[in-house]
Amino acid sequence: MFNALLSKFKRMDWLMTACVLALIVMGTVFIWSSGSARQSASLQTIWVTHAYTAVFGLAIYFACALLDYRKLLSWLATPIYAISLVLLVAVLVFGAKVYGGRRWLWFFQPSEVSKLAVLLFVAHLFGRMGRESFRWFMAGLLVLGAPALLILAEPDLGTALVLVPAVLAMLLAARVWTKGLVTILLVGSFAMGAVLGTVYVAEGKPDADQRARIYSYVPLREHQLKRLRVFLFPDRDITNTGYNLRQAQISIGSGSMWGKGLKKGEQKSLGYLPPSVSMNDFIFAVLAEESGFMGALTMLALFLGILLAGIRIAFMSRDDRGRLFVIGATTLVFCHLYINVAMSIGLMPITGLPLPFISAGRTFLVVLLAMLGIVQSVAVHQEED
Amino acid sequence: MKTSPWFTLALGAVFIFGVFVLGISLFRLQVLNVADYKEEQAKQTFRTVRVPGMRGRILDCRGRVLAECRPSHSIRCYLEGFRQRGTSSNTVAAVDVALGRLSTLLNRPRQVSTRQIEHHVRQSSAVPLVVWRDLDDEAFARFCEHAADFPGFEDFTDTERVYPYGELAAHVLGYTGRGDPESQDETPIYYSEKEMRGRAGVELYYDSYLPGAPGLRRVVVDARGFRAPVPENSADGDVPPTNGPDLTLTLDAAIQLSVERELRGVTGAAVVLDPRSGAILAMASAPTFNPNNCVPRLTSEVYASLTNAPAKRGQNRALSESYAPGSTFKPITALAALAMAWMPEDEYDCKGVYRLGNLRLHCWDRYGHGPMNVRSALEQSCNTFFCNLGTAVGSNAVISAARAFGLGQKTNVDLGGETSGVVPDDTWKRRWYNQPWYPGDTCQMCIGQGMLLVTPLQMAMVAATLANGGKVYRPFLHARSGEARPSTLIRTIPFSEESIELVRSGMKDVVDIGTGRNILVRAETSPQTGRRTRYRLNVDCAGKTGTAEIGRGATKRKNTWIIAFAPFENPTVAIAMIIERGESGGKTVAPHVHNVLAGIFGETVIQSGRAAMPGIEGRD
Repeated sequence: MFNALLSKFKRMDWLMTACVLALIVMGTVFIWSSGSARQSASLQTIWVTHAYTAVFGLAIYFACALLDYRKLLSWLATPIYAISLVLLVAVLVFGAKVYGGRRWLWFFQPSEVSKLAVLLFVAHLFGRMGRESFRWFMAGLLVLGAPALLILAEPDLGTALVLVPAVLAMLLAARVWTKGLVTILLVGSFAMGAVLGTVYVAEGKPDADQRARIYSYVPLREHQLKRLRVFLFPDRDITNTGYNLRQAQISIGSGSMWGKGLKKGEQKSLGYLPPSVSMNDFIFAVLAEESGFMGALTMLALFLGILLAGIRIAFMSRDDRGRLFVIGATTLVFCHLYINVAMSIGLMPITGLPLPFISAGRTFLVVLLAMLGIVQSVAVHQEED
Repeated sequence: MKTSPWFTLALGAVFIFGVFVLGISLFRLQVLNVADYKEEQAKQTFRTVRVPGMRGRILDCRGRVLAECRPSHSIRCYLEGFRQRGTSSNTVAAVDVALGRLSTLLNRPRQVSTRQIEHHVRQSSAVPLVVWRDLDDEAFARFCEHAADFPGFEDFTDTERVYPYGELAAHVLGYTGRGDPESQDETPIYYSEKEMRGRAGVELYYDSYLPGAPGLRRVVVDARGFRAPVPENSADGDVPPTNGPDLTLTLDAAIQLSVERELRGVTGAAVVLDPRSGAILAMASAPTFNPNNCVPRLTSEVYASLTNAPAKRGQNRALSESYAPGSTFKPITALAALAMAWMPEDEYDCKGVYRLGNLRLHCWDRYGHGPMNVRSALEQSCNTFFCNLGTAVGSNAVISAARAFGLGQKTNVDLGGETSGVVPDDTWKRRWYNQPWYPGDTCQMCIGQGMLLVTPLQMAMVAATLANGGKVYRPFLHARSGEARPSTLIRTIPFSEESIELVRSGMKDVVDIGTGRNILVRAETSPQTGRRTRYRLNVDCAGKTGTAEIGRGATKRKNTWIIAFAPFENPTVAIAMIIERGESGGKTVAPHVHNVLAGIFGETVIQSGRAAMPGIEGRD
């Protein structure tokens, strides 16, 4: 029994574990640095909570790694998915309203949990032969669509934005109605381009009525339109809607090659980078300001380590369910990383999305570690078939 | 196995590409464009604060300090210690409450209103707010004792202007107030305190000279505009202020003091010039004020006392009020006539009244002076002689002579508020009175009456010009050191040396035997013994009296004048003095001029009931 556990332990992907540990340490350090600029004691010590959560999450990570993911999928995928749907409905009804959205249920965010639930359920559904037809594609859309719509209703555009590409990558890998899927992807990108183009054209009009008429055709909310506008014209309104982006860019840009040193980032400590976001969605700006280009590059390298380790595990796996799950999980992590960093430097419109391992956020950290634990489980159990 | 390994590899390639894109973008931001962002960050984080230097002193010609800065205890409040959540009005309220407590403790009224706090929080929350300026020692000691109970408040030493001699030369010195500094073009200044600014006198005229170069201090501000804790190397880029240079005046405090003593209790003015250069040795106007009451701020009561008629204490009558010169103008008439073929020995018989058509102009001697020439007419100040003289040579000669002396024009002295006076002519009269020039106007002007108006400073220039043999110098107050000669020769009057010498001799007769004898000699009657003692100046001098009648009926009054210079040979002092509502120049003003000159040159007893005494102590 013990020997079996030990051999499983040895078969884990240690590159991924090392990168994960390093990123957690980085995250804790920069949450501590961000918190030091705040007044309240609870915010100053939030890094301790983050560290405890990381320890708890790592325990789950190793537990998941040693557990056979196939059993997990067949036993738990369906109930977890069902429960997450119930929670997503519950949060809309009972959730606490924070910053204009209902995202919190007691101490956690159901939308984070649903990320894991959807990935598990999709892997469970499509990891078998004979599900490549259009009908199954529709089923896949339903599986993705139900939680995605509930999440959008919170509203939490960011989570929906990372969930869709992750599931699409899984469906593509499972060759579910490939032709149609590729077509949809093309149409989708075209639609996005069209929306951006419309906003661009509309902003060119000097007349407010004309603009309003054009915007009435765009199916987006007012704050989302604002973000698109900031993305397209970052210099137009730097004191109001474009403020966060501008200050994040100044933080990152003024970090230069080696950074200003821990706790010495003026942008953060003087409150130019809004304190409400410096620990969460914009923590990358703090990291890049205080540790410079080298620190940011180190972080990117660690993430690349995790992603490539995941690709290797997916490549080596002989089981479709495992491979699908790994593809979904790595795509999810990649999307989080890319969207978060890209929005901080103005490559993408601003979206509220945490940076994995680094941003303060207990639910997401635990879910993320569980997810990567299951990825490890795929690595551990690939031999036994 | 339905999933393709190639898809997995392609996904890996997408990941690598994505991370690569991020890395490149970050490189562009953090390495290539780092200067832009660093600059932008500095721009929003640092604010430049202007730090004034200490205002320079004002000295008299012997280095006596007429104005300087003294340290003053002040209290300022750092707003970041009071910042509250929510709107800025919460912060204002917090400061307001603390200030109220402090005011109760110090038992001193507040100097800063709630509105001022509000304004400061909104506009310049990064710099401290000065809540008490120039606190007295008792209140300051109490603050120091309880400073620990009032976090956010701090004592500091500021400077205030002080005039050690009080009223001395108040009109020349002026006073300072507090105001915004002039904008500077090179560095953008975000914050500047109210600085000491000249409000009157040379404080105002030399307001760009006295303050010195301001320094710059950089303050780190947070996103809400409050001062942030100072990071390392914060002193980089700070420029210390340089203190203002001293301003040395030509004034001699001793002469100034004696002039002011003579003018005490009357309304009038006096100017003492050095005829060799135009340097102003003394300039006084009465009634006067104490500039120490005008700093640090001019209160409305003090302002009212400075401006209210009839005293108008703030007005420098020496150059901003113009008067009819009366008989002190006669030397100019004499020179004009001598230049126009009137011979020194030509005589005119004074019969006590001068008739010109309907005009009857009385001489002050009702029975007439008899035959007079220029020299004796000056000595006796004979009106009919000069009326005749002016009519004989014509008004234009007199007008151009007056203008050659600088009358009717500003002297361009380095002091503000100057008025030009009036030398009327035909054009002027038509413009202001819509009447032609009558021969009677010529008569009036020749004896210094009518529409002719001069300032005491201009008459001092006339005295100086007659003293130095015909050179008109621009009067000045700032004694520049070094090789640059401060005196400016405006012109030389176009009269022959002989004519000038004749007029000077006439003016000497005025002092020796004529209307101005009281300038040269002072008589004193001892109250105990009833004996008279007479004192004579230690030098010869020359002068001219003047009594100008103004108004009619109930408002009829006489302004009394003396112009004089001494010593007669190689004069070093020229003086003009006017006393409003006097009796006559010779009786009212001459004793005062004697005292001023005695203060400079000394006096000696020439006749006494008892044994002759040497000069009076303290007069030499």
